[in-house]
Amino acid sequence: MASKKAAPKSLSLAPVLDLNEATALRDKLMALKGSDLSIDASAVERVGALCAQVLVSAARNWEVDKRAFSFSSASEPFLKTMQLIGVDIEHLLAKETQR
Amino acid sequence: MDMNEIKEIFFQECEEQLAELESGLLKLNDGDRDPETVNAVFRAVHSIKGGAGAFGLDDLVSFAHVFETTLDCVRSNKLEPNQDVLKVMLKSADVLADLTNAARDGGSVDEARSKQLIRELEALANGEMSAAAEAPVARAAPVAAPVPAATPAVNDEGFQPIPFSFDDFGDEEQPAESGVPTYEILFRPKSELYAKGNEASLLLRDLSRLGEMSIHCDTDALPLLEDMNPEEAYFAWKISITTDKGEDGIRSVFEFAEWDCDLEIRAVEKKSEAGVEAQDELPMQPVPFDLSILDEPTDVIVSEPEPVSPASAADFGSNVVPMAGAGRDEAPASEQRAAVAQPAAGPAAASAASSAAAAPTIRVDLDRVDRLINLVGELVINQAMLSQSVIENDNNGLSSINMGLDELQQLTREIQDSVMAIRAQPVKPVFQRMSRIVREIADATGKSVRLVTEGENTEVDKTVIDKLAEPLTHMIRNAVDHGLEPPEKRQAAGKNPEGTVRLTAKHRSGRIVIELADDGGGINREKVRQKAIDNDLIAPDANLSDEEIDNLIFHAGFSTADKISDISGRGVGMDVVKRSIQALGGRISISSRPGQGSVFTMSLPLTLAVLDGMVVTVAGQTLVVPLTAIVETLQPEASAIHSFGASQRLISIRNSFCPLVDVGRILNFRATQANPVEGVALLVESEGGGQRALMVDAIQGQRQVVIKSLEANYTHVPGIAAATILGDGRVALILDVDAVVAASRGQSLKQEISLAATG
Repeated sequence: MASKKAAPKSLSLAPVLDLNEATALRDKLMALKGSDLSIDASAVERVGALCAQVLVSAARNWEVDKRAFSFSSASEPFLKTMQLIGVDIEHLLAKETQR
Repeated sequence: MDMNEIKEIFFQECEEQLAELESGLLKLNDGDRDPETVNAVFRAVHSIKGGAGAFGLDDLVSFAHVFETTLDCVRSNKLEPNQDVLKVMLKSADVLADLTNAARDGGSVDEARSKQLIRELEALANGEMSAAAEAPVARAAPVAAPVPAATPAVNDEGFQPIPFSFDDFGDEEQPAESGVPTYEILFRPKSELYAKGNEASLLLRDLSRLGEMSIHCDTDALPLLEDMNPEEAYFAWKISITTDKGEDGIRSVFEFAEWDCDLEIRAVEKKSEAGVEAQDELPMQPVPFDLSILDEPTDVIVSEPEPVSPASAADFGSNVVPMAGAGRDEAPASEQRAAVAQPAAGPAAASAASSAAAAPTIRVDLDRVDRLINLVGELVINQAMLSQSVIENDNNGLSSINMGLDELQQLTREIQDSVMAIRAQPVKPVFQRMSRIVREIADATGKSVRLVTEGENTEVDKTVIDKLAEPLTHMIRNAVDHGLEPPEKRQAAGKNPEGTVRLTAKHRSGRIVIELADDGGGINREKVRQKAIDNDLIAPDANLSDEEIDNLIFHAGFSTADKISDISGRGVGMDVVKRSIQALGGRISISSRPGQGSVFTMSLPLTLAVLDGMVVTVAGQTLVVPLTAIVETLQPEASAIHSFGASQRLISIRNSFCPLVDVGRILNFRATQANPVEGVALLVESEGGGQRALMVDAIQGQRQVVIKSLEANYTHVPGIAAATILGDGRVALILDVDAVVAASRGQSLKQEISLAATG
């Protein structure tokens, strides 16, 4: 459902994003800093608040860096959890379709 | 695992919780104001309550609840934990222990006492109610009984205490009155919450099940990616929920995370402006009703096409384990959580797993350990026999065999030591029990006493610990009742009106030394002496040293208390103590300084499974005499032997006379008396404090022997404490010195004083 922009880097999220994954996720994101990023959350089965924090923080960081940050696809559990914990990622999904 | 086993585990945990509770309270009593200490105390009571609820132990639950409510006031700084408050709390801890024991073993509890304490606890909690008005956080309001819930109303302070229901883990909650109330919740997790394996999103999911909920995530604290610590908590949530479960229902969702987050719950009238405002001022995101996709496979409704596989659920549990080490305190709570079988299977399983990682201990049936110890004892004997037979047959000097045997010997000794270490336990539980006894006696005598314990972690064999409690109790009672003066008298003497009893344990040269010191008046030697004369224990003109007078209190039937009190002074005090200590192969001594107090020193063997003994020969038989009993050995000279009466003989040692006891005669090994000059005399200290010279034919040597109980394998033999197997495979009897000495005084050899032997 996404038409990818020229050479955005992509990152596939692990199925379980619990507290053990938070540090790893941050490290992965830090490594991708400075380039447009498209995240594939389609495999996510479970996501905890800590990883949500990392993702939200990354989204802001990318915004500051004026780089594109988007979700190319997201699984149902991922979206539901984000909705449950009140983190709005709709605009990231929406932006993604624009690009 | 059936229900009874689970219940047994619960009671074992209760014991640990009670110990935790007591040590926490004592820390608070000493002025410790660390919130973590208060939390630990609170958790202990809370866990007991939770577990008791699961087993339907109503008495326990209701008392624990009141206790918990009062503790909550302390936790939320509404109640200052001063001395008076802690006195009530310590008493409550005692009653809680009684109730637990009653629930386990049947038996009854002093109901008047617990009722009285419930009243006192309520008074403490309620007394703070008025002062609590300015408290910013609405806590579970301290109300004792399950009052039917009133509709929470908003007042100027923004909160209204809500009567607390007992069933905070059940669904049955306050009946919904006109309309379903709306609550506003501020939930700000701390980093510890995540570190302990809790997950904010799961808490929020459980919360969303209570009713219609909308949520706003406050991400203001969140730094940019490069500045963030991925394991720190930055998110906070503002939640508005409409539920008929009441504040208790909401709180129960956060029950096990409560001390790792800031939680504010505020009731708003559904139609009141406050609620609307709250909704308006922040962009709240409605939470979808169908969250079943987030459920664990164990939950009933899995309607989504992408159910979470069981493997990943297990994964989740195991992933949590390493992190949980940081949250050791979480373990009891989480076990309890598993016990109450909360519907949230995921976090419960995760924290159950975490508890396993947190406490690297196992519970083993004592029988199994004993069996192992027994086998190791056999191994040691077998090894000794093997090396002896090798030595006997080895004429060629095969050094490789000898070297191998040496190594084997070293290994068996190490195995023996390690196995003994399994049985070794810290004396802490016994010491902790003593603090309760001190409290009770201090109360009964109107004295103010402080118990200071040191070296609680000193380890000693479990059998010794079990048998230590009784004599220690006696001694503590004596120390408080007789040793310490009343407060007025102490003040007059320029001392702190609060008396101090110091209980210390330490290891000294392979033995454990326990000291009990009080800073009381010391032993009143004049009074002791007079009493001894009155009781015909000594002659009126006897010339006794201070030490000898002090030791008189160990005589049977001796009590200096003017009046026989309930507490001590039944005349079965110190002699019983001395006898039980000796039965453990220990010694007790006393030193007292007038006006400054007395010190009782007990020295006990670390284990009752092995014993250092002197191997002797009596009339062709090999006997083992416990080394602890022997003061010295000597070769009698004919000039030192004096006849006394028809058959008694005395030996003069350094200008004092000591009765000579022919062991062979007493044990009926021979019919006639042996010639003392041909034998060896072992000077032993006997029960009454006097010395006796035991006569044996020869000394073979000194060695460590493994004790084999005669009672268990054969039957009790008077004069013999136990048996052992020597290196040559022969059985040797271990002499019961006290019984032999008593027999020499003309009493029959039927006394039931035996060396407590294991194995």
